[in-house]
Amino acid sequence: MEATKKKRKLTRMRWPDYIIYTVLVLFAIITFYLLWYVIIGSFSNGQEYASGGVFVWAKGFTLANYEVIFQDTQFWTAFRNTVVRTAVGVVCELLFTALVAYGMTSKHLRCKKAYYWIFLFTMFFSGGIVPMYLVLRIIGLYDTFWVYILPSMFSVYNMIIISNFYKGIPYSLYEAAELDGAGELRIWALIYMPLSKPVLATVALWVAVDHWNSYMGTMLYTQAGEWTITLQYYLKHLINNASGASSGSEYSDLVTAKTISYAGIIVALIPIMCFYPFIQKHFTKGIMIGSLKG
Amino acid sequence: MSQVFAAKRKRRKKWDARNWTVFLIATLGLLSILVFHYLPMVGLVLGFKDSDYSANLLQTLLFGDWVGFDYFTAFLHDVDFWNVMSNTLLLNLILLLLNFPAPIIFALILNEVRHAAFKKSIHVITTFPHFISWAIYGGIVIALTDQTTGVMNPIMNVLGLSSEADPVYLMDAAHVWMVIIISSVIKSVGWGSIIYMAAIASIDVQLYEAAELDGVTRLQKAIYITLPSIAPTITVFLLLNIGRLLSNSFEQFNSLQNAVNLSRSEVLSTYVYRLGFSSRRYGYATAIGFFNSLVSLILLIASNFISKKVAGRGIF
Repeated sequence: MEATKKKRKLTRMRWPDYIIYTVLVLFAIITFYLLWYVIIGSFSNGQEYASGGVFVWAKGFTLANYEVIFQDTQFWTAFRNTVVRTAVGVVCELLFTALVAYGMTSKHLRCKKAYYWIFLFTMFFSGGIVPMYLVLRIIGLYDTFWVYILPSMFSVYNMIIISNFYKGIPYSLYEAAELDGAGELRIWALIYMPLSKPVLATVALWVAVDHWNSYMGTMLYTQAGEWTITLQYYLKHLINNASGASSGSEYSDLVTAKTISYAGIIVALIPIMCFYPFIQKHFTKGIMIGSLKG
Repeated sequence: MSQVFAAKRKRRKKWDARNWTVFLIATLGLLSILVFHYLPMVGLVLGFKDSDYSANLLQTLLFGDWVGFDYFTAFLHDVDFWNVMSNTLLLNLILLLLNFPAPIIFALILNEVRHAAFKKSIHVITTFPHFISWAIYGGIVIALTDQTTGVMNPIMNVLGLSSEADPVYLMDAAHVWMVIIISSVIKSVGWGSIIYMAAIASIDVQLYEAAELDGVTRLQKAIYITLPSIAPTITVFLLLNIGRLLSNSFEQFNSLQNAVNLSRSEVLSTYVYRLGFSSRRYGYATAIGFFNSLVSLILLIASNFISKKVAGRGIF
């Protein structure tokens, strides 16, 4: 009796509810429509699309745009580079940053405060893009694949997040391992790393999304060559092409630069969409971890 | 007595294997920071040397002629100065004023939803744009605002804001701010609300139950219980955002720029890129970047100071 009463109370709608639900549904529709609009564009006949009116459903349904994208070798080069960059970038940053985080949490580290402040300062002040360009030139990273990996291998912010987690691991575990004669590296790899899986997963997802979505690095520090062109950079190029006035004529009458760029966008979004339900949960947890800092 | 001190000093100085290992680990991190963060700061010297159009930047950095603050004063007298500065400051301020309260309001509204599944699906849908890259998001915005194929003009026709004969180009200088602002809010509101939803979830339910007994309405509950309860979170995030006011996203603005709207969409970060990388005015670009970093640093320190005073916690 009590339970049914409670349930009825929960689901009974009053007029403010209808307003709230309508506003939320409208907002969700707008958000979803951003994606839907590109999806229907990507399945539309390019010429028919160009005449306008593709708002709810594809016009002259065709897979030709996707065929062009699937045959575009540069798109797949960029796709490959971005996949490799994301994978290598995540593994390198996670291992290296977690290792430094371990060092920074250790009670055996002398002058910890000095390290901490030297690290922290870089979060708030940077040399800017021209000096960075010069440094990358000097050390020979300019226009190489490693320009995406090495500079971001150590992230101070993520180091602080991970080391905050490490601080919560019971010290008795460390002492027990120490008594057994395990070295620092072994303690890190066999005790701290397995125990910090939740925070590592969150940080890994942050890093992965950043790597997948970034195009600034390609613009600034590479010539967008065989091993340095990235997916987002290439998409930007496709989109810029599409908004140029004269484009479209070089393709067949089925596709235009615009509809091709939509197909490219959708293909580039597929990995994000596949991982999204899984990512979303972790991100929600992760932002809590991040906010505990300070 | 001196023996005790000597023993103490000896004990403190002695490094065992563990000290060495963690020292090496931390120093590896230090090395990476030195190369990729502090070395570029040395490169700021370019902003004080005659380095525009330089063919060999390293040589200029080491042996070039000093020009003092010439580039900085040149920037102050640049024809673009007021344009870029007002775009950067005003646009970011407006973005802050909207992007900041929007997630709070959204979280409050979402909190009123009592169907868990509905709440979750709304949240999942509205958070998604956060994960779309700016390159793609910019492309979508450009597509939506297209004069012939975009959906915005037909909608505005219905609302009487434009006509079929004379479609409005929303990506031109006159409208681009509106486009930047609206697109930015849609992209960030769902994601931004996560932190407030978590703060709301941690509010003691007894407060609401007591209020219900007193016959308090839902709006009153939201205003007098929920908002004050999440006020500390709000303060910290507001100050954090003020601190980040100038370190705006290069990609956000770059992805929406075109030749027509540049006068209203050029901000410091994109301006530095255009000067340094497209025009090869290295010294000038470095100087402006330096100026940008300095102002951000000051804003950050100030907002952190206030955050500590007001909310009792800052970021460092």
